[in-house]
Amino acid sequence: MNPGENHIDAPDYIEAPLAPKHTRMQEFGRMLKQNRLAALGFFIFVLFFLCAVTGLILTSGTKPLFNPAMVRLEEKLRPPLSKPNLQALRPDQVPVLNVYLMGTDDLGRDVFARMLQGAWVSLTVGFVAVGISVFIGIFMGGIAGYFGQHHIKAIHILFFLCLIGGIGLVLINAVFAGTALLLLCLSSIVFLLSARDKLPEKTLPAWKGILLGNAVSVDTLIMRIVDIMLCFPSFFLILTVVALLPASIYNIMIVIGLTSWMGTTRFVRAEFLSLREQDFVAAAKALGIGNFRIIFRHIMPNAVAPVLVSATIGIATAILTEAGLSFLGFGVPPPHATWGNILSDGKNFIFDAPWLTFIPGIAILIVVLSFNLFGEGLRDILNPKLRERH
Amino acid sequence: MLSFIGRSVIQKTITLFFVSIVSFLIIHLAPGKPSQVNPMNPKFTPEILERFQKEFHLDKPLYVQYLYFYRGLFTGQTVSWKDNQSVFSKIWGRFLNSLPLFIVGTLITWTLSFPVGIRSAIYRGGIYDRTTTFLSYLLISIPGFFFAYVLIIFVVNHFHVPVIGMETFGIANSSIPHMIMDRIWHLLLPSVLGATGGIAILSRYVRSQMLEVEGQDYIRTAKAKGLPPDQVHYKHAFRNALLPFVTMFGLILPGLIGGSVIIETIFSWPGMGRMAYDAILARDYPVILTVNFVSAVLVLAGTFVSDLLYLVVDPRIRL
Repeated sequence: MNPGENHIDAPDYIEAPLAPKHTRMQEFGRMLKQNRLAALGFFIFVLFFLCAVTGLILTSGTKPLFNPAMVRLEEKLRPPLSKPNLQALRPDQVPVLNVYLMGTDDLGRDVFARMLQGAWVSLTVGFVAVGISVFIGIFMGGIAGYFGQHHIKAIHILFFLCLIGGIGLVLINAVFAGTALLLLCLSSIVFLLSARDKLPEKTLPAWKGILLGNAVSVDTLIMRIVDIMLCFPSFFLILTVVALLPASIYNIMIVIGLTSWMGTTRFVRAEFLSLREQDFVAAAKALGIGNFRIIFRHIMPNAVAPVLVSATIGIATAILTEAGLSFLGFGVPPPHATWGNILSDGKNFIFDAPWLTFIPGIAILIVVLSFNLFGEGLRDILNPKLRERH
Repeated sequence: MLSFIGRSVIQKTITLFFVSIVSFLIIHLAPGKPSQVNPMNPKFTPEILERFQKEFHLDKPLYVQYLYFYRGLFTGQTVSWKDNQSVFSKIWGRFLNSLPLFIVGTLITWTLSFPVGIRSAIYRGGIYDRTTTFLSYLLISIPGFFFAYVLIIFVVNHFHVPVIGMETFGIANSSIPHMIMDRIWHLLLPSVLGATGGIAILSRYVRSQMLEVEGQDYIRTAKAKGLPPDQVHYKHAFRNALLPFVTMFGLILPGLIGGSVIIETIFSWPGMGRMAYDAILARDYPVILTVNFVSAVLVLAGTFVSDLLYLVVDPRIRL
């Protein structure tokens, strides 16, 4: 081989594709094919999604195709796939396909229609609760990881305590004390603004020095909040709050979301701490890009993999929690069907009508299992160490 | 070492203080009133209501109530609003009921997950490994209450033994072996149910720890010098894989008071979980707050113990 040939080869080298030939979606599909359990999980997940959406369309409105609330007292506890007794029913009470696909419950309601309606509830509870927890988790973790070294001044803490205390007092009708606290809060802003101009710190009197001194770093503060939240036994906390608040599906979503963000915060923070020191962030900073653009455009895409995995598994957990709450009677209020309360209603007829227990139970099991399998598969797919090996 | 202990005790005390404030605020600011002072309750005249309010310090501002409550808690004088019994004696009674469940459940978890996890790590990728992987996902995903009913139907139909409650009603008159068998049958199902999730998670964890150790150079050396496989796996690999599990002894501490609300409700087991559930329903604030406080103490103590164990077991760690 002489140097001349090498020189001629060079243009080929340059034209050769530098970026990977496969797009991310193709890569994803290929990995999914190799991990059959994850593929199965993904397939069931899509199926469940479609079921829930069609279920919502078919069971809502004034004249739904499948009426989950239609009571037929003559037709109670019919086993699955049994034909309705046409003589006993009014024409509008006859089920659509002329068969009870999944039987009827103790009030003669069509279990198939109720399962369809419940699918949407499970889906929204899972997604909204996890959405809330992921949002809080990314926000807190991002702040702790990126701005962690900044310090909060004592005056800031005072300000927030006064603000929250003042609003709280006004809300519980202690207007006088509340207004006083809000005024104090206002005065602390004034103090902060006036102190900003006078920079030479030696001239400050002692009390001003304490107020303007660094009290605690942002990172410490957020991680201590996480520690405090982790001290509560989670299901017990959810149960307490849900039992004390008026029963509604939104409360359940919010409470599950507000009590499950700690894990996300922890690893978003860990990812941010390591990514913040990387060269591409330094380069972005050198280009004068703003903090928020760096966080969301440059760091976040690199930190999103573990969040996605834990969110998928979190949806499974949220569905289980909602089912457990419904089972205890704290779930979605009665006329609305969820898989948990179909099961909970059916438990009294466990020997006479086992389908009332088994159908929702197995449905929950399959959906939660598919989310778990898909989440674990996603962990492998998104893991760059494993990707290189293949 | 001493400075580490001192620092973490101070830190955990501060955390506990904030936990006490947050839990107090959650309970007291939530809408609704305890049934004893609910003006909607037709049994109460305004005079009785007022007396209750005074008795429970509900007429005072929140921070005074907070001080009263935690003074009562630390001097052990807190009483349940529902029946005026001391909260601690109530919790202690229920705790003794929950304890057998916890002990049997923990024993089942730890004795089952280690053999399963080690075996599936040794035969990685084999049919055994894949089966147990799938089974553990199944066990994590199965709703506890559904699994409970499946097991109840199975056991009652096939073995014809009663399983609900702590013991069969009126069993006290029969012979001693009969009584013991009865207790065991009643104990078995709830503790197996309590252990399912634990088995699934712990066996996966054992598997991944074993896999990590089995990939090390010294294992290859041990294999290369011709040691029998059992000695390699159990003496060289397993001992090193054990390290993180020693520290997990600290983390099972909170399970002592948790109890499972759902499982204890299904089996009518008069344990901690049931008591907490009933207290929530009756808005018995002292009981709810005490359970919460004790479990927070146990969580903090658990992490503290596990940190200490790490320090003792792993000489590489210097805090």
